[in-house]
Amino acid sequence: MKIYHHLDFAKLTNCYLIVNEISREALIIDPCKISNDLIAQIERDNYKLSAVLITHKHTNHYRGLKTLRKIYDFSVYAADNEISDSTTILKDDGVKKIAGLDVEYFSLPGHSADSIVYKIGNVLFTGDVIFAGTIGSSSCSYTKKHLCNGIKSKILTMNDETIIMPGHGPMTSVGAEKEFNLDLDSQMFV
Amino acid sequence: MYLFSKCREAGCSHFAVSDVDANGNLIESADFCYAHTKDKEQLQQKIYSYISSHDKIVGLNASGLTFTNIDLTNKRFYGCDFSNCLFSGIKTSGMRVRLSNFSFSVFTDCNFIKSNVLFSSYSGAKFSHVLFTGSDMIQDNFNGISSFQSSFDDSDLYSSYFIKAKLIDTSFRNCNIKETVFYEISQQNVSFRQSNTNAAIFDKRGSALFTGLQELDVPQGVQKGPSL
Repeated sequence: MKIYHHLDFAKLTNCYLIVNEISREALIIDPCKISNDLIAQIERDNYKLSAVLITHKHTNHYRGLKTLRKIYDFSVYAADNEISDSTTILKDDGVKKIAGLDVEYFSLPGHSADSIVYKIGNVLFTGDVIFAGTIGSSSCSYTKKHLCNGIKSKILTMNDETIIMPGHGPMTSVGAEKEFNLDLDSQMFV
Repeated sequence: MYLFSKCREAGCSHFAVSDVDANGNLIESADFCYAHTKDKEQLQQKIYSYISSHDKIVGLNASGLTFTNIDLTNKRFYGCDFSNCLFSGIKTSGMRVRLSNFSFSVFTDCNFIKSNVLFSSYSGAKFSHVLFTGSDMIQDNFNGISSFQSSFDDSDLYSSYFIKAKLIDTSFRNCNIKETVFYEISQQNVSFRQSNTNAAIFDKRGSALFTGLQELDVPQGVQKGPSL
């Protein structure tokens, strides 16, 4: 597996190209702005883009989907059925074989109702659920608590060395977030 | 890249470190973590010689190893795990790092001048007498670092995070700190001279000018800071 990181400077949104080096298949997580670099990377190495995974339905995380549709034929995975016509809807938690890779997914509502976290290998792609040092914004204290509980039960229970690649900001790890996340105070671990 | 398997020692939750086979090829994740590797000296030598004989290193897991007086000049690291390592006496320039993890590592007396480090994590690392002078360190994670007598002078720290960092005698002179986050840092003799502090984020509500003004406080329960 190889991971390529692309940054959309408009809202500092991260887009990830994940490549299965054996089957030469690729998948994209959160296609924000589709840059020439991203297309060139797929074309130069002759990868077959077989899927696009959306973490949640906020425009800056999937606005490049239409552009990609004009070039490639691929499946879309998300928790919201309004993202595109032929979306495979993911509910609750589970595992799917996508691009020859085992993709685990976990439903983690709070930032948005359809927020999903994907795990490929030892890497979590968290969208706007958790960032380095903070968690995603939420509309009220109830959804914030719901989000915190979800993070506590589904993310912080993972191996401390698990890497987190969020939708905004730098990468981090589960161990680092247990120690330094401002929104997940020490009360949570009591 | 980050497809490490668990250490085969019963009860160990760490990931197995990389090994090098007889043909000199990297095995991304071998059998045991560094703590449970029987011949640590031999593994260290293998990793050292792999690094010195390759300019581009992809998917190396060297978690827990010690790196002393090794030359990393012009080396390129992609998706490597150097968490919980000790770096001592490293003198290098022009190192390139992408998507790599240096969390909870210790750096002492190191020169990483003119490095190019993008989208990597140094969270919880300890820096003592470390120079990153003239580096591009864009969107890196320095949350929870402890830095003593170290320098980020003349560096581009665009969109890097220093949340809960402890900074002592550390300088950020002439740096680009646009979108750089410094929430809840503790600082002692820290210099931001000639850096664009107006474009950095020091307070969760955006500006220290508003601190304590109740009429501008965000209602309880609503997320503070930039909406994403």
